[in-house]
Amino acid sequence: MSVPEIPRRTLVRVFWRCLFLQAAWNRRGMQNLGFAYAIEPALRRLYPDPARRVEALARHLGFFNCHPYMAAAIVGGAIHHERRVAAGLEPPSAPLQYKATLQGPLAALGDGFFWTALRPFFGALAAVGSLLLGWPAIVVALTVYNVIHLWLRIGLFRAGYDGGDAIVGRIARLGLPMAADRLRRGGAALCGLAAAAVVLRGAADEGLAAGAVAALAAAAGYLALARGARLLPAAYVAALLAVAAAALAGRLQGGL
Amino acid sequence: MEYLVLAAVAGLAAVERKGFLQAMLSRPIALAPLAGWALGDVRGGLLVAPPLELFWLGAVNLGAALPVHEALGTSAIVGGAVLAARALGSAVTPDVALLAVLCCAPLALAGRRADRLVEMVNERLDASAVRALASGRTAAAVRFNVYGLALPFLVAAVLAPLGAALAALLIPAVLAALPTAAEPLRHGFFAFAALACASGAKALRARAAPGLFYGALGAAVAVALAVALSRRLAA
Repeated sequence: MSVPEIPRRTLVRVFWRCLFLQAAWNRRGMQNLGFAYAIEPALRRLYPDPARRVEALARHLGFFNCHPYMAAAIVGGAIHHERRVAAGLEPPSAPLQYKATLQGPLAALGDGFFWTALRPFFGALAAVGSLLLGWPAIVVALTVYNVIHLWLRIGLFRAGYDGGDAIVGRIARLGLPMAADRLRRGGAALCGLAAAAVVLRGAADEGLAAGAVAALAAAAGYLALARGARLLPAAYVAALLAVAAAALAGRLQGGL
Repeated sequence: MEYLVLAAVAGLAAVERKGFLQAMLSRPIALAPLAGWALGDVRGGLLVAPPLELFWLGAVNLGAALPVHEALGTSAIVGGAVLAARALGSAVTPDVALLAVLCCAPLALAGRRADRLVEMVNERLDASAVRALASGRTAAAVRFNVYGLALPFLVAAVLAPLGAALAALLIPAVLAALPTAAEPLRHGFFAFAALACASGAKALRARAAPGLFYGALGAAVAVALAVALSRRLAA
C-alpha cells in the first residue's frame, strides 16, 4: 500500500493550528490538547474510518511538551509517521515514539535559542533602537525577529513532514547553540548601550545629577541582581532612593 | 470607553503571550506603544516601552515554570500613566510614568498567580476533551483547546483596567499633595530605567555579560562626554 499524501491546504491548516499549541496548557498533559488540535485535520484525511480516527487522535491526546516553535517540527514529523501507519508500513506506536524521543531535546534547544537568546536579543535591540531612533526601530526589530521566527517555524514543520527522523540532522546543521551564545553576548552589550542612552538622556533632560543617579542605579543594580536581589523590590529601592536623593539635594540647594 | 479599549488590548496581549502565535506582540516593547496608541497617547507608551522591555527581558516561559505576567503589568502601567496624565491635563511625563510603574508593576506577579489558576481550569478542559473523544466526537474533543484562550483573556481584561483605574486615581492625588515631588520623581524614573537595563543584561545569562554590560555602558558614556566636551571647547 502506498503512503497517502496530505493535501497542501490541509497542511496549511495544520500549521495554522500549531500556532495555538499552548492555548489550553495544563499541568497534566501540558500541550497535549494543542497537539491534538493541530494534527486533527491531517488525521481526518488519513483515517476516513471514524473508529481508526478516534484511535489515532487518542494517541495524540497523551502528554506532550516542547518549545512552541520547535514543536512544529514534531507535528510535521508525527504526520509523516501517521501516513506510514495509515499505509500499514509502521505500527501505531511509531508516531508516539517519535514524539517521545524528540520533545525533550527540541524543548531544550528551543528554550535555549529562542527564549533565552533570540527573543531577548531582539527585545534589547528594539529597546536601544527606540531610545536612540524612536518607534521605527521597534517596527524593524520586530519584523526581522518574526521573519526569522516564522521562517524557522515553517521550515521545521516542512522538514518534519518530509523527512520524519531526518529532522535531527537538519536541526543540528543549524548550529543553534553557537548562535544563541553570540546573541546572548550581543544582547548584554545592547543592554549596556541602553543604560548609557538612559544615563545621557537623564543628564540632558534633568541635569547631571539625574544622569549620575541613573549611572549608579545601572552599575549597582547589576551587582545587586547578580548577587540574587529580587527584581521588583530592587526596582522599588532604586527608584525610591533616587527620588529621596533628588528631594534631599533640592532641599539642600534651596536652603543654601 | 478608554477602560474597554484597555481591556481589549490587555486581553488580546494575554492571548498572544502564550496561547496563540507568540510573535513578541505582547512584549512590553510592542505592547506599550500599542496600548498608548489605543488610548490616544502613543508617546506615553513609547516612553515606558524600552525600560519595561528590559526590566522584564527575563520573563520567559521555560518548561512548566511560570514567569511574571509582563503583558498584564505593561497594559496596566501604560493605561494608568495615560489616564493619570489625562486627568492632570498633560501627556505622560517621566514622573507620572514612574508612579504608574510603582503602582501597577505588582500586577505582573498577580498575573502569574492567575496563570496557575488558568492551568487548573485547563485540566478540566483536558478531561472534557478526553470524555468527548471517548464518545467518538473528535472535532468537539479538539475544540476544547481553543476554549483555553478565554480565561487568560478575561483575567487580563479585568485586572489591567482595574490597575490602571487605581493608578489614575492615586497619581494625580499624589502629585497634587506633593507638588515639589515631580522633579525627584523624574530622577527616579531614570534610575528605574537604568536598573531595567541591568536587569536585561542579567537576564541574558551570558558568562561575559558583566564585562559587556559595564564595558558598553562605560564606553558609550565616555564617547558621549568626549564629544560634548570637544564641542564645548570648540565653541
